[in-house]
Amino acid sequence: VANEKVDLVVVGSGASGSVYAYALAKAGRKVVVLDNGPDRPLGDLISSDIWGRRLKPAGGAILLGGKNPFAYANQGAYAVGGAALHYFAQFPRYLPTDFKMKSEHNRGHDWPISYEDLAPFYDRVAADVGVSGDAKAEEKWRPPGKAYPMPPMKTFPAGEVWLKGAEATGIHLVPMANGMNSQAFKGRAACLYDGWCHVGCPIGALANPLVTYLGEARKAGVEVRGLSNVTRVLTNQAGTRAVGVEYYDANKERQVQEASVVVLAAWSAQNPRILLNSATGKHPNGLANSNKLVGKFMMTHHIAGTWALFDKDITPHMGTVGAQFMSYDRYAKTSYPSAFGSSFITAGTSHKTNDYSLARADLFGRELAVFMKRAARGLTHLTIFGEELPNIENRVELVSEKDEYGMPMARLTHSFDADAVALWNANFDQGVKIGRATDAKEVWPGKGPIMPTSHLHGGAIMGTDSSSSVTNSYGQTHEVPNLWMAGPCIFPTEGASNPTYTIFATALRGAEHLAEHWESVAL
Amino acid sequence: MTAIERRAFVQGAGLGALAFTIGGAEVMLTPRQARAERVPLRTLTAQEGAALDAIGETLVPGARDAGISNFVDQQISIAPEDALLQARILNVHPPFANFYRGALGAVDGASMKAKDRTFAALSPEEQHDLVGRMRVNKLDGWQGPPAPLVFAVLRSDAVDVVYATMEGYAALGIPYMPHIEPTRKW
Repeated sequence: VANEKVDLVVVGSGASGSVYAYALAKAGRKVVVLDNGPDRPLGDLISSDIWGRRLKPAGGAILLGGKNPFAYANQGAYAVGGAALHYFAQFPRYLPTDFKMKSEHNRGHDWPISYEDLAPFYDRVAADVGVSGDAKAEEKWRPPGKAYPMPPMKTFPAGEVWLKGAEATGIHLVPMANGMNSQAFKGRAACLYDGWCHVGCPIGALANPLVTYLGEARKAGVEVRGLSNVTRVLTNQAGTRAVGVEYYDANKERQVQEASVVVLAAWSAQNPRILLNSATGKHPNGLANSNKLVGKFMMTHHIAGTWALFDKDITPHMGTVGAQFMSYDRYAKTSYPSAFGSSFITAGTSHKTNDYSLARADLFGRELAVFMKRAARGLTHLTIFGEELPNIENRVELVSEKDEYGMPMARLTHSFDADAVALWNANFDQGVKIGRATDAKEVWPGKGPIMPTSHLHGGAIMGTDSSSSVTNSYGQTHEVPNLWMAGPCIFPTEGASNPTYTIFATALRGAEHLAEHWESVAL
Repeated sequence: MTAIERRAFVQGAGLGALAFTIGGAEVMLTPRQARAERVPLRTLTAQEGAALDAIGETLVPGARDAGISNFVDQQISIAPEDALLQARILNVHPPFANFYRGALGAVDGASMKAKDRTFAALSPEEQHDLVGRMRVNKLDGWQGPPAPLVFAVLRSDAVDVVYATMEGYAALGIPYMPHIEPTRKW
């Protein structure tokens, strides 16, 4: 079935896709957004860890491999709004050093842009979606910028108990920048601090796409089609232009959506899968892949978590799932003598009963029952995210098995290298040191046989040289000028802090560039 | 509108109602209610259900009466994308029934090899010992999905029905504070 041609088709409706839809609709373009997940109203965001699992993929078509398989289902999404529907909405920025890894350390890649190029877009996003935080306090580590539109979120004992330990060990904690409302903002409610952020915030206090960019895009006339599985980008006979996408609708019927410009914003694993499956005689390796870099340099963060148990009631269930405090004091890439890479410290997230059980995943039976009662009063957590360097062996590639639409599945192969393992271990030492300097009764590292992974980046990295990257700094592919990539797939290095604020900012920069140069891109 | 009005405080609810079939008719029940009503299992066999009840009770006391076997059975009988199981978060590939059948068969197989009895027929002490060895992958004759993964998935199911419900929060003395209460079907 062929649909009426539109100006822009966006594949994916999460943090990056929603920004493109918003910016181009605002510029007067006719936009259609396709997402493989259902389009749920806010009232479907049930406050329950059990029911919240419906926002995530079930099985899916991304197979996992390597020594350290990525936690794909936990991080992915099955809903319009993408993973930003269930994210923690922690909004730290990248720091200037993240953009200059190669120049400063002769490792990894440089970004084709600097912090200064992105800084105005961080400020714009904050004003658009609402960020609560203390920008002045962050300027200990980053260049000055605009104040956030709202003061920091409230703090609770489960976060405050970390302050003593951090201070004693030379770690300066400041309020976390959160994409949440510490007060009413643009007609959206203030946060209630009930700690259900991660299963979707139905009151609009958390800046998910449904109540920010995608909501605005819809008001501007953008059509969002849920349960639409895109399988290929279609090109003209010469292979020089994208002409639209092929997808399967909710009835599993094949559809074609023609468009003047195509934006792939379907996250770092699915974007390469679509490009690779779009191979033609003119693009035998897949679209935008003559240098065979599509699907390469996949990166994730490793997590070193420290648990602490207090013998007083610190209300672990209260607050936000986004942490209360953060620190960049171990962000310098050479912070530890034994390891290389940035680390980002967060403290004091709200926890629910499933979290308590995972704090001691070894316990069962009566011992678990006893622990659950103690945890309900006194459990808290400090998280240190660690950076992984880009490695070409960490990759997405098509496999012979096919999904229900006949599209080849993909395998995401991921292994941490020795640098990452060393940094992970150093971060455990750091976390336990902080914990032991608090008043906690018990402190232990959350270290099991599996290195936990969080966030996914790479797969279509940006750069200045078409031989060593897939897109330019705006996300425009080097080979097909009206095919753009959006989201963390274009990040050439990953830093250590949560990426979504930077995803919003890079998407806004790319989308506004596309809008300004529409005539030359769309032809 | 005040915060208290925007919260949906409710009393005594459970996991939320799921669709169970009794006598050919679909009824909305919590897993605990389904167990109390003796709702027949749709996908698991009686032996698999008995094994799951026994393992669940060993992992998290109270899981049997909280309806773990009815919960899992109902969840593996619906479309994977509708399922609420932690298995989907742990990257278990659907159909989830295959995983559970393999897991429960492996537990009973290991039990038969060690004690010549099914897991449900073991004493509580023997069950505790066997589950402890399953956790660290030290069971002879294990044939099924990786034992530590089975431990993690079944433990999570048991935690779900005992602690992740509104009743479970109340038992731990934690206010549930839902925005949208889990008492209705999506």
